[in-house]
Order: sequence, then C-alpha cells, then structure tokens
Amino acid sequence: MIPKLCYFLKLLVFIILNNLILKLKLNIDGLLVYFPYDYIYPEQYSYMLELKRTLDAKGHGVLEMPSGTGKTISLLSLIVAYQKAYPLEVTKLVYCSRTVPEIEKVVEELRKLMDYYTKQTEAKNDFLALALSSRKNLCIHPEVSALRFGKEVDGKCHSLTASYIRAQHHSNPSQPVCQFYEEFDAVGRQVPIPPGIYNLDDLKDFGRRKGWCPYFLARYAILHANIVVYSYHYLLDPKIADLVSKELAKKSVVVFDEAHNIDNVCIDSMSVNITRRTLDRCQTNVETLQNTISRIKETDAAKLREEYSRLVEGLKEANVARETDMYLSNPVLPDEILQEAVPGSIRTAEHFVGFMKRFLEYLKARLRIHHVVQESAPQFLKDIYEKVCIDRKPLRFCAERLRSLLRTLEIADIADFSAITLISHFATLVSTYSKGFTIIIEPFEDRTPTIANPVLHFSCMDPSIAIKPVFGRFQSVIITSGTLSPLDIYPRILDFRPVTVASFTMTLARTCLCPLIVGRGNDQVAMTSKFETREDFAVIRNYGNLLLEMSAIVPDGIVAFFTSYIYMENIVASWYEQGILENIQRNKLIFIETQDAAETSMALEKYQEACENGRGAILLSVARGKVSEGIDFVHHYGRAVIMFGVPYVYTQSRILKARLEYLRDQFQIRENDFLTFDAMRHAAQCVGRAIRGKTDYGLMIFADKRYARADKRGKLPRWIQEHLTDGSLNLTIDETVQLGKHFLRQMAQPFRQEDQLGLSLLTLEQLQSEDMLQKIAQIAQQA
Amino acid sequence: KYKAAQTVFNIDKKCQKISPDGKAKIQLQLLLHTGESTTFHFANGSTALKDRDATKELLQQLLPKFKKKANKELEEKNRMLQEDPVLFQLYKDLVVSQVISAEEFWANRLSLNTVEHSLSNNNKQEVGISAAFLADIRPQTDGCNGLRYNLTSDIIESIFRTYPTVKQKYAENIPHNMTEKEFWTRFFQSHYFHRDRISTGQQDIFSECAKQDEKGLKSMVTQGVKNPMVDLLSLEDKSLDEGYGTATVPTTSNSSNKSLRENSNSAIIKRFNHHSAMVLAAGLRKAEAPSDQASETSSTDGNSRDSDFFQPPLKKVKLQESIEYDDLQGDSGRQTIALNLKKSDRYSHGPIPLQSQHYTTSQDIINSISIIQHEMRNYKPRLTQVMSSNAASSAITALSPGGLLMQGGGQQTINQLVPTDVQSELKHLYTAAGELLRHFWSCFPVNTPFLEEKLTGHLEEMLQAAYSKFQVWQTRRMMRKT
Repeated sequence: MIPKLCYFLKLLVFIILNNLILKLKLNIDGLLVYFPYDYIYPEQYSYMLELKRTLDAKGHGVLEMPSGTGKTISLLSLIVAYQKAYPLEVTKLVYCSRTVPEIEKVVEELRKLMDYYTKQTEAKNDFLALALSSRKNLCIHPEVSALRFGKEVDGKCHSLTASYIRAQHHSNPSQPVCQFYEEFDAVGRQVPIPPGIYNLDDLKDFGRRKGWCPYFLARYAILHANIVVYSYHYLLDPKIADLVSKELAKKSVVVFDEAHNIDNVCIDSMSVNITRRTLDRCQTNVETLQNTISRIKETDAAKLREEYSRLVEGLKEANVARETDMYLSNPVLPDEILQEAVPGSIRTAEHFVGFMKRFLEYLKARLRIHHVVQESAPQFLKDIYEKVCIDRKPLRFCAERLRSLLRTLEIADIADFSAITLISHFATLVSTYSKGFTIIIEPFEDRTPTIANPVLHFSCMDPSIAIKPVFGRFQSVIITSGTLSPLDIYPRILDFRPVTVASFTMTLARTCLCPLIVGRGNDQVAMTSKFETREDFAVIRNYGNLLLEMSAIVPDGIVAFFTSYIYMENIVASWYEQGILENIQRNKLIFIETQDAAETSMALEKYQEACENGRGAILLSVARGKVSEGIDFVHHYGRAVIMFGVPYVYTQSRILKARLEYLRDQFQIRENDFLTFDAMRHAAQCVGRAIRGKTDYGLMIFADKRYARADKRGKLPRWIQEHLTDGSLNLTIDETVQLGKHFLRQMAQPFRQEDQLGLSLLTLEQLQSEDMLQKIAQIAQQA
Repeated sequence: KYKAAQTVFNIDKKCQKISPDGKAKIQLQLLLHTGESTTFHFANGSTALKDRDATKELLQQLLPKFKKKANKELEEKNRMLQEDPVLFQLYKDLVVSQVISAEEFWANRLSLNTVEHSLSNNNKQEVGISAAFLADIRPQTDGCNGLRYNLTSDIIESIFRTYPTVKQKYAENIPHNMTEKEFWTRFFQSHYFHRDRISTGQQDIFSECAKQDEKGLKSMVTQGVKNPMVDLLSLEDKSLDEGYGTATVPTTSNSSNKSLRENSNSAIIKRFNHHSAMVLAAGLRKAEAPSDQASETSSTDGNSRDSDFFQPPLKKVKLQESIEYDDLQGDSGRQTIALNLKKSDRYSHGPIPLQSQHYTTSQDIINSISIIQHEMRNYKPRLTQVMSSNAASSAITALSPGGLLMQGGGQQTINQLVPTDVQSELKHLYTAAGELLRHFWSCFPVNTPFLEEKLTGHLEEMLQAAYSKFQVWQTRRMMRKT
C-alpha cells in the first residue's frame, strides 16, 4: 500500500505544480490576451499595446521590431484575442508572408496558440485557420503533383478541371478529369471543413482522407475561415487577387509580415517585360488560335455565335466563368475594369485575332530599334494609333476578350498560351493607366552591347497603385518587419496614412550583437565598394584579408554578402589568383552562392552540415539574392556576417532612373535618399540574418567606410544603431579582429534564463510592476 | 590438427619450440604465457616435416599480429584496473588470492567487444582532411623553367579520399601504363587540377574524372536538399509566369553569350563548391560507416523524393525547431528523454505483490487523480481550525532529524562504532562475495557443459575458498579483540 501512496502523492504534487506554473494571461489595455509562453519579452508587450491601439482606431500601422523577438506570436496572440473579444469588429485575420517556409512557420505558431487556448478555456476550438499556397504545394493528384514547376502544375490542373473538360467528360467518360476535384465539387462545398488549424500538409492529409482537392478546398474555405495565411501575391497581384481574395470581408485585419520589400512586390505585380522570344511564341499562339477558330467554324459555328451574342450583351464574364476556368484574371485593379460591353471591333473571334496580329506586328516593329527609347503610356498609345490605327478602347478589353476566347475555344493546355496572355495583359495595362508607368525599349543589354537582345519594359513606378485597393478595402492593415527604417518612408511611397508608426528595440540582458564598421585595411587604404575604386587591387586584397582574419577567430559559420553577383565573381576570382582563398580554406570550408537556385540550395545544405559537424564554413552570398532574403542563420550557422560594400541597386538601370525621377516628382523623395534607404534596408536584412533571438549572438561587420557616415548609419534599424558606438566606426582590420575576439569570448560564456529575467525576459509579476511598465513605455519609439 | 593450431591463437603465447630435425618424433611445442605448454605431434609420416614447417611459418606470421592484440588486451586490462580502484581491489581479493582464475575474472568483465571497440578507436581514427590540402602543393619554380610540386603521402591520401575518381585512375594506370611520377605530373598538368583554365580538349586521362564529378554534382543537385527550410526552389510562392515583374528578364544567355572571363569565374566558383562538398563528404564517409543504424533511420525520414509521405517528419521537426523560443519557455534547459516502456501498467503500479487483491487499473488511478484534482480545486482551508504557526514550527523541528521525536533511544550509527580499517575490510569482503555470487548466478540457465562444470565443481570450490577466507578474517578479528 505504501509505495502506491507515495506514487499518488508524487502525482498530486506534480499536478498542483503544473497548475501553478500558469502560462501568461495578459491584460493588454483592457483586453484579455492569452500568451502561450511562461515568460514574455518586454518589447512583445509593448508591441501588443501599439497593435491594440491600431485595431481600436480601425486604422493602419507600421511597426518595426527586430527579428527573433517573437513578433509573429505577439501579432497572433493579440489579434486572435481581439477576434474572440469583438467578433463583430474583426471577422478575419489575413496574414501575408513572403516565403512558403515562413507561411508554414506562422501556422505552426498559431497552432501553439490555439492549443493553449483549448487547454486554458477547456472549450472546443471553434476557429478555422488555414494556409493557402499555389497548386504546386497543395496538389495531391498523383500525376499532376509529380511535375516540378509551378507553371506546369497549374497548366495540367487546368486541363483536368476546366468546366468544358468536365462537360466533355460527361458525354465521353474516357476524357480524363481530376477525381479529387470532382469529389470536392460534389460533396466538399456542402460540408464545411471542421474548425482547426490547417497547415499545407494538414490540408493535403485532409484532402487525401476525404478524397477532395486540397487546393480548391482551401480556396473555398478561406471565405469563412477566421484566419488565412498566404503569400503577398494573393492580395497584391491583381491577376491573382481577383481570383482568390475577391470576397474577403471588409472587416478583416491584414498583416504584411517581413514587409520591408513590399514596394517591390507591388511594382513587380504590375510590370511586364516583352522580349523577341515572347513575340515569337505569341506569333505561334495567334496561329494556333486562328486554326482552331476556322476548325470550330466548320464543326460548331454555334459556339462562336453564342460567344458573340454574349459579348454583345456585355454579360460580365465573371458571372459565367467557373473558378477552375480562370488561369490569370484581369491584370488591372478591380475598380479599373470596365463594366461595359466589349467594343464591336474585337467582338467576333476572327476580328479579335486579326486585331492581336496587328498589335503583334506593331510590337515587333517597335523592337527593331538600335537606340534606347523611353516613353509614357499616352505617348505609346498615340504612336500606336498613328501607325496601325489601334484605338485605346479595344486595347483595354484585350485581356478580358482573350480569356473569353480561350474559354470558348476550349483550350485545355492554357499554359502554352502564356505569351499571348502576357501581351494581352500588357495591352490592357498600357491603355488603362496613364500615370505611374513607363515604357523603355532597350535594343541590347548594357553589359553586352554587341548582342542584340531587344526588350520592352513596361514598368510600374508607383507601388501605391497595387496596394491602394488593399488599404481602401480592409479596415486595418499592419505593415511589419525587423527592418523598416526609416519608418516614415513607407507611408510615403505606399501613399497611406497610418495611425501608428513605431519602432521597437530589443531589450538585451547582454549585448549579443556587435556591429562594427571597418573602414580601412591595415595599410590604411580605405575599404569601399564605391564604383571608382572597386576594381582597386588594394581594396580587394583588404577585403580578402578581412575575411581571412575573421575565418581564424570566428567559430563555426561565417556568412559574407557582396553587393552584386558580378562583383562577387570578380572578387572571388582575384582572391583565388592571390591565394587568399587557399589560406581561408585552411580555416574553413568555402561555399559560394551561384545563380542556379538548386546548386545554391545544395551549397547551403552543405554549409549547414559543415557548421554542424564543427568543421566550420564560410558562405559567400549576394545581397538581394535569395539567400539574403529567405534563409536564417541562427546560432552557429552564422556567428559573423560580413557585408562587403554598400549594396546599392544597379544605378545605371533605366528603369531605376525612371522610378527615381517619379519618386522625386510625385513624392518629393530625393534620389539619393531613396537609393541610400534601399541600400541600407538590404544591408540591414543581410546582417540581421545572423541574430535570430536573444540567446543568439553574432558579429555584424560592415566593410565599407561609407557606413560610418551619419546619412547611412542613421538609416539602419534602431536596434542595430543603438549598439554602434563611436569606438566601432572606421576600424582597421586589426582593430576589428581585436574587438571581435573580445566579443566572441564574452558571448561564449554560458547564458542562462536567470540572467535575462527581469531585464529582457519577464514573468507576469514583473510585468505588472509599476516601474517595469514605465520602462516598457520607452521601448516603442513613435516616428 | 590445423584447427587445433588455429584455436591456439586465442591463448597467450610466449614462444614456440620445434624438435631438432633429425629426431624421429616431429613435434612442435608451444610455450604459453601462463606457463603451460602444448606439444603437437605431426604424425602423418612423410609429409609430417613439411606440415610442421608450414605450421611454424604460419605461426611466425601470425604471432606478431596476435601479439599486438594480446598486448592491447593486456593494456586494456591494465587500464581498467588502474582506472577503477574497486575493480582493482576485487582483482586482488579474488585473483591474487586465487579464489578464481584470471580468465574467469576477465571473462565477465571484459567483453571482447569493448576491446575491439577501443582498439578500433585507437587505431582507426582517421586523420582529417584539411580543406586546403591542394594549396599545400603550391608549385615552386625550380629556377630553370620548370615547376616543382611537393607531394607527401598525406596529401596523396587526401587527394584519394576527396576525389575517389582520381584514386580509381591511379589504380587503373599504375604501374603498367605509367610510372607514379608520370601519373602525378599529368595530374598537375591536367585540366582537372586547374579547373579554372579552359579545357584544351586534348586526350587527358583526367577528363573522365571531371565528367564523373560533373555527373555526381548534377545528380546531387537534382536530388535536391533534405531540409525544406533551405530549399531555395520551393521558397517562393509565386505562380507568376516569366515576363512579369521588373527583375531583369532571364537572359537567354548560354555560354556563348558570356565572356571568357565570366566563364572561368563561374568555373572557379563551381570548383570551390564542389571541392568543399567533397572534403565534407570524405570526412563524413568514415563517420558513417560504423553508425549504419543511424543512417538507416535517418534515411527513412529523409529524402526520398518520389514518396512525400516520408517527408513530413523531418519538415515538422525543422518547423518546430524554427518557431521555438527556448528562453520564453518555462523549463527550457531540461531535455527530457521519452520513456520507452514495454508495460506501462507495471510502471504506474510499481512493484506490488501480485497476490494483492486490490489491483487498481490505470483507469482507477486516473479517476482517483481526477477526484483529488477536483477536491483540490474546491479546497478551502478551514481557517478557524488551523494550528498556530508556533505550534506548527515546533512540530516540524520535533520531526526533523535531531529533533525531539527523532531520537531513537541514543542509537549510534554503525559507522561511528566500527573502526575504519575493519569497515573497509568488510567492504572488500562484501564486494568479493558479491562478485562470486554474480559468477554463480550468471551460470544460469545452465545450458553448456562448461557452465555446468563451472557450477558444480569449481564454483563450489570458490565459494568454499571465499568462505574460508571469511573465516580466517573473522578469527583474526576475534583474536585481535581478545
């Protein structure tokens, strides 16, 4: 009996203890927030306060908080609490992130939060949250999902699920269709997906169990889901947003995480490039269309007549079209789409094809040039009217008309028609927007003036065009990232009026980041990637020596970023010739980013392996590259980051020049300010890759003397700037090594939770104390 | 007879003697370390002499090898004795006083495995490969328009291990096609070694190596990466066609489009990536061999592209890792290991005699826990009936060691009563007896004649010996006492 009793007692104690260690329930400005951890960072509390104020005001916010301080979980905790407390005020959270792993991470954090909710409230979870991604990541059809590229998957899926294919399948059962979509269409819509948290893999599992298509299930389910996590493009790219996000409720909160590049995403979604190859492929498309039309005319003329009359009546295409038929929607924003009937000149199929042919010929002629041309959209329209008598109005209907035609002709393999789709989108865009866009035709690339490779760039210069409907439509839009400095520039270039603009620092119990600006080599030669001196032998050698010295003192992994790929190639080659790389190899293995993503992935994996097994490695990489944007180097994967030079964008690009001009004229942003801002946000992104939390540590080495200037330094995020003392500016290599050694030795000491408690890590009681609340108030800096 | 000779090798040998040539009996005598000797008679007449000589030869060859092993074993035993004083004491008590024999003592202790293991650890530890081993062979000009490369056997070893294809070439061509010197000369002249130089296209024995490497690299690339978090290909979630966006259009650049310099630059970059990967792989290849099981298990959750049913586990782990904030968590430092129970019921009930009629099932326990939990939740202290704090603290002091209620009638603990030397002696006897009992019990189940013999004859004796030893000790103590 006695051992049993003892056992019971033990259990009892265990249970009581478990209940005593309460996870946090916070009172954020009168809102009960469940926070699924035992402790909280002060800045998280502060962040939630600001966020709450933004939601209360039903306005937009810009919030900068360093990565690794639990931004995502703070956002989720507060907004979910808000949703639970005021279900009528905020009906939906739309969380946009950049990469697939990031999307999945958000959902996992959400799962943690929801688990905590169910444990605490002991009520069944009634929240539906799901991730949405492209077909490539969600398809479970055995043949379709085996395809490698997203485009192929989309095309193949379309050829199995388009409405006319399914109609054909009715009459002719040998016509293959996707049984997962059929099953979903038959049953899936009636039965709502049970509440819960669905990551991409969960959706796939669920789909497999039920035999439903996860992709269409997810697209359908986001309409009634409480939380949707997906990529920027589903909201910012009108071609996709119109298909996917059209019916999201107005009372949604939209969060753009990692939003430091949001302006580029906006611009990309509205820009088009046309090369000679595009035109050639378009030519084949037109011919195929022509043949198909004449064939159908013989066999099934009624079909074309029916389409004609439908266009006469001006029935809105969207009403007729089914979700599976649309590959890409109209490229222009919803409020710009004309509500009238398609003009008569392109109403019949033949006329339209003829029209496209003429347009194509005109574009071909425009590409046959020997000098650069730059013009505005109205100029282009005037020219096209004068040369080939094409009016503005039919051009505007091009995208809409082509879609209707492709549907009528029952073209299954729609991916083949990407060229003509692109051209039609260009036509619609160029005739819709008269401002904010520019057309640049270049006969050759700058680097290879002898090789003719004409390109027509139709580029958007105003990021606010694409994001405007988002700000207009949703009641709260939060733009957040680890690096958004200087904060005031985002509201300007995105043209919106935020109610909160705040930057949060990272409270630290020990200074775990060590930014150093190296300005010169041991020979006192200035170190800089400035264009005039970047080929200088002494500069390259000094850069090499810096890396060599660092490779000797830094444990495990070092990541080095260069300003551009070509620059890196040149430097690596001359380091190789000078034997610097060989000396570095004595200390660490060397891996280098290449322009091939698959090769780079492998190098990256090997790099991590080498860090893992203690051998240590160096990764040479490129700012603005895929590595610098999407890969984290936590802990020993990155004990030092070296930024060689200031990563200015390639300033000779005409597109950039046009954009700078536009920024100056429209938003009164000086060219230099913008260029520096852009360079510094990328530099901050690069060096920020190494610090992914308070237990992490790393050196941040800025190897360019220009970083020491106030105009550069001042544009770094506050949490980095704070630790830049006068003693760490314009160092020589030797001084850097000394400081680095000292820092690394200090950081290598054991760091326990108790060291942080009360300073950068708080319990509930500590949080509630008066002076802590005062301290917290200072964390947020309003811009 | 040869079989017999083979088994002999498992015994320590000191030396061997053979009978003089002229004698009628042809014999081979082995003298062992333990002092015994074994004599082999070679009896098949005519060939006997030859047989014996062959045996002798064989023995001579094998002896040094075996000696090494024997020495290693001895060393190992020595080391164990030195490191473990308890063991040493036991050895003294049991072996030196001849209660049991040395072999028996070691037979249980020293599983052959550990010897082998430590042997392999001592012997086979590979020298790592320096990533810069190619740099160490920097050519030096010898003054008269030639280059000299310094090659050491270490470097050659490194080259072979990092580039298996070169080793293969070496095996193919040396020595019948060319001399070793020629081989290396060609190697250094080859395009393979100078990857950055543009291939001259001549027939080069290493061009095949380059091709094979290329193929290996390609297959590695197409295989993709195991860790989904570093897979740059699936990073972006964009279904945009080419032609959209401001990023420069994927130029239709093939190699003809690039300048010579660019080509050689990217060749250098490729080469470094490849070289680093090969060095890393060479280091891992050795490490992987013994831990086959580990790699086996890891391969099931890895990489098999075609069936993505296996992929999620690794992905899940990586995802969880990346959202972990270990300092925000309560008890972060404690890494718990999952308990692997065969019968969880037995664990939750503890060792309860089976005849007990009150056999509680785990359901009962869970129920009672929830009842207790429930009671605890509704627990309200009856504040009127509590003890005063004074009374409570005095009760606690009374109950703690040295307190009023804890003095069990002046009992002194035994370790204060008995002198230390007696204690230690007793301890030794106790451990020695324990060891003997261990031997005794390890004989069960008795399934070999050897064990039976050990049990009936020999252990009996041993126990007897031990008992008599105890007797001796006791009488000595009595003597001393009186």
